[in-house]
Amino acid sequence: MAHHRRSHLLLVMAIIAGLSIGVAGCRGPQSGGLTVAGSTSVQPLVEHLAERYMAEHHGEVVNVQGSGSTAGIRAAVSGAAAIGMASRELEPTERDLHRFLIAQDAIAVIVHPANPVKALRREQLRDIYARRIRDWQQLGGNPGTINFITREEGSGTRGAFQEIVMGDAEISADGIVQDSTGTVRAIVAGDRNAIGYISLGMVTPEVATISLDEVVPTHDAVISGQYPLTRPFLLVTSGEPGPRERAFMDYLHQPACQAIIEEEGYVPSAAESRS
Amino acid sequence: MELHDRREEKCKLRVENLSVFYGAVQAIKSLSLRVYPNEILGITGPSSGGKTSLLHTINRLNDRIPTYRHEGRVLLDGDDIYHPDVDVNQLRRRIGIVFDLPTPLPKTIFENVVFGLRVAGVRNRTVLQERTEQALRDAILWDEVKDRLNQPALRLSGGQQQRLSIARALAAQPEIVMLDEPCSGLDPISTLKIEQALWDLKERYTIVLVSQNVQQTSRATDRAAFLLMGELVECGPTAEMFTNPRDSRTADFLEGRFG
Amino acid sequence: MRLREFVIEKLLFIAALSSLAVLALIAVFVFIEGTPIMLREGLGSFLLGAKWAPTKGSFGILPMIMGSIWVTVGALLIAGPVGVACAVFLVEIAPRQVADVVRPAIQLLAGIPSVVYGFIGIVVLVPFIRETFGGPGLSILSAAIILGVMVLPTVISIAQNALEAVPVEYKQGALALGCTHWQTILLVILPTARTGLITALVLGMGRAVGETMAVIMVVGNAVKLPINPLDPARTLTSNIALEMAYAAGAHREALFATGVVLFVFIMILNALANMRLRRRGSHR
Repeated sequence: MAHHRRSHLLLVMAIIAGLSIGVAGCRGPQSGGLTVAGSTSVQPLVEHLAERYMAEHHGEVVNVQGSGSTAGIRAAVSGAAAIGMASRELEPTERDLHRFLIAQDAIAVIVHPANPVKALRREQLRDIYARRIRDWQQLGGNPGTINFITREEGSGTRGAFQEIVMGDAEISADGIVQDSTGTVRAIVAGDRNAIGYISLGMVTPEVATISLDEVVPTHDAVISGQYPLTRPFLLVTSGEPGPRERAFMDYLHQPACQAIIEEEGYVPSAAESRS
Repeated sequence: MELHDRREEKCKLRVENLSVFYGAVQAIKSLSLRVYPNEILGITGPSSGGKTSLLHTINRLNDRIPTYRHEGRVLLDGDDIYHPDVDVNQLRRRIGIVFDLPTPLPKTIFENVVFGLRVAGVRNRTVLQERTEQALRDAILWDEVKDRLNQPALRLSGGQQQRLSIARALAAQPEIVMLDEPCSGLDPISTLKIEQALWDLKERYTIVLVSQNVQQTSRATDRAAFLLMGELVECGPTAEMFTNPRDSRTADFLEGRFG
Repeated sequence: MRLREFVIEKLLFIAALSSLAVLALIAVFVFIEGTPIMLREGLGSFLLGAKWAPTKGSFGILPMIMGSIWVTVGALLIAGPVGVACAVFLVEIAPRQVADVVRPAIQLLAGIPSVVYGFIGIVVLVPFIRETFGGPGLSILSAAIILGVMVLPTVISIAQNALEAVPVEYKQGALALGCTHWQTILLVILPTARTGLITALVLGMGRAVGETMAVIMVVGNAVKLPINPLDPARTLTSNIALEMAYAAGAHREALFATGVVLFVFIMILNALANMRLRRRGSHR
């Protein structure tokens, strides 16, 4: 049994070690390949599309690495990566980078389907997460303590929520923290007093979405820009992209790729440009 | 088999046509035996002769062994000990048993001696102390341990531990005390002390002494029974059996030709 | 022949050494990464600070230490009595045929992936606790129950060994003095097996402290000093696993420091268990 426990500990340590090596690895460009690094929210989508790209363009190698939006932008600036990925808008100091939008992701606020509260204002949502509003009764719902669920520190979804909803207010430490969209959804689906936020593409009928500032989070509302809680999925390059980078980025705008983006539950950038 | 004609009502324990089986193995074959009050009955014979099986059957220690079964009867004061109305724990208080290996519990000397009494519900401190002293004196251990009754019993020597086991059986004041090879593995001095103790005890108890050791049986018993491969070969006054065995197998065993 | 044995012996020695070396490397790595921030922040404010906001420069892990202790102790309060009772049943009471079915079934519990435990926790246990006792349901109590079940196989199998090691003479001696079977178990078998039973609990504890996945799913992970068992809490392991993927700089160091604390925690438990085992060894 002692052996069993030790191997368990080893596993945890090995994962930690592996992760840190992975992070360290992001800093050096892979010779020969096209290195794309940044947001872990964007990473799965780009990885998926890069695989198609490599299958269709023989000899081209694209390395996709996840390290967070800020790290990705920095890598693009320093040249450590050819392309950076970000799941947030560029900050003023980063405006001189070349910005390339591949999709819009909306964050839906979800509650239990039986919850009578169907609409919130952004300030109300902020006060729930800052623990200033504690009971559903204060919002016209049935009496019951609000169980609010947030994502872990460092998550891109949490970052966008913090920026757009919370502003300078802090998310209260009383909140339940979960590290995946799936568990947030499972908890909200089972608790009449819960509230959470997940990517719009991940909403299922087990949970109900809430309209924010009187805008229901639908595909159209996101495209039209009315729904406030959205974030862009960006690719950035330092200066004008070179021919290799340009070829890859243009590929992502092709209809076949845009269809995949839509299938994955995001709003493709082509749709936005059409509106 | 029983040739000595004593009166029926004086018989303390009677075994009638007992056969014992463990699964397909028959350990005892249709054995009949009587034990009279205030005697020391020796049971001897080579190993695997059924001696221990007999004691365990009399004390009902086999009850929880799934493959065990027996035929015949065991009567204590005329009553069948396997009768459904018999409380087996009550029965074991009437028939004490001491095993071949000393079995002190990991407790103090005092707690070991009074263990059976506590289980039986005796709470009175004075009674417990009196019984402890009496039992330890009976087992010829009192002088050696009287100043350290609260020390762990496991610190005693092997011979002391075995006498403690006897004292523990005596403290519960049984009617019959059965000892299964109590001196195997003990030095000659400890052996003599135990034999001495038994001789003094028979005034108050009925004693069954199982021993493979022919000399011990001849020294320490009134009557002797010889068990060979589950069969009672012969039983009679010890002196008679040792000087003039009726069965040639008994003679062979006593002369050391086997076992 | 001589040479062959020599080679085999050396190979085994190298194998043993290399596994030891891996362990040492990991320990060194975690300590190198984790200790600087503890020294910089001060050991006191790191271990006893109640605020954890790593992106804003607050690194207090007291809530996580307390969370780990609450959850572990809770798991033991559940797994201890149930595990020992189960072991007593298997060793002393159950007929052979029943024991032969139950034993492997319990060992099977150990083979279930912890995600499955966590999922059952979220879907069944958490709603039950929320509706029965109130609170968010995601709580120390939920985690303690799930962990209690997860460590049961450990506790039961070691407790079983301890009970089986009680010499049969002790049992017979007690029975012969008129003990009922139940009295024998209570007065003789359990006290005799005591050290082994404590070892079972300590090893179960080590397993509970280290468990991560299932705990993350049901414990709520709120970084707050827990006050009662219905509060959500965060454990040391869940803190590392939750945030490591994104962490950089001081945040990452702080997570390694959390790992150091966990490491020391488990070392202490291991040492305790070994001490127990050694004492038991000399006793018998």
